[in-house]
Amino acid sequence: MDKSHDDFIERWAEFVRTNPEWRDIHTKFINAQFNMANDFIIRLSKTPSGREKIIELYGIKNVAGYKELLGDC
Amino acid sequence: MERLVSDVNILNKFCTDFCNIVEKHCKYIIVSGFVAIASGRARGTEDIDMILERIDQKKFEKLHNDLAKHDFICMQSEDVSVLYNDYLKDSTSIRYTRSNQPLPEMEVKLSKDMLDDYQISTRQKIPLIGLDVWFSSINFNIAFKEELLKSDKDMQDARHLRVVFKEDIDENEIFKIKKMIREYRLK
Repeated sequence: MDKSHDDFIERWAEFVRTNPEWRDIHTKFINAQFNMANDFIIRLSKTPSGREKIIELYGIKNVAGYKELLGDC
Repeated sequence: MERLVSDVNILNKFCTDFCNIVEKHCKYIIVSGFVAIASGRARGTEDIDMILERIDQKKFEKLHNDLAKHDFICMQSEDVSVLYNDYLKDSTSIRYTRSNQPLPEMEVKLSKDMLDDYQISTRQKIPLIGLDVWFSSINFNIAFKEELLKSDKDMQDARHLRVVFKEDIDENEIFKIKKMIREYRLK
């Protein structure tokens, strides 16, 4: 394991244990990842083979359940 | 697609919405990575792992229909018989998302042995996390990550949990769980 990353994990965990403001920082971090990923999925869905790529990426078998994103079968 | 820029955590909301429905039908636990992430671990994830008590197909059908009624779609199929007999009964997980939004996802499976049953029977709500959902115990999560999963990511999750919950950790219980893991999962 990377020693400097281990040190970061210890320091951040200690911060979480002792500082209530960790929650706001953490929420922004988590939301940014999902917003970025979901924005990308929308952009990908509008490309020529985007639909097929999304189905493959997420292993979607129930394609009909995602009509708005993937269009009709 | 829903885009949240407020102070509501996307993963926490998704998890709470899903658990509120499952709670009406059977016992469940949230396990593994999300326990660490909801406890402040700063890393990404695409899914949340849930274990349900062993329920029969009829009970699962009610649960699945309730989830569908509340805009949760199963990625594998909409056919309850397929989901139950081809996946859940075989100890294979199924995945639910919000309709039209492949992320995040809830990966759901049934309890498969005494170890899972014990996890469910010792489930807890964790005040520091601040979510009204059932988690497998911190001791269980540390034991699984250190004894069974063991990837860098899992070892770092365990380290994070050990620091954040240092006052609550029971080393004797972790030792006992690790012994059960060797007995049920590593033989």
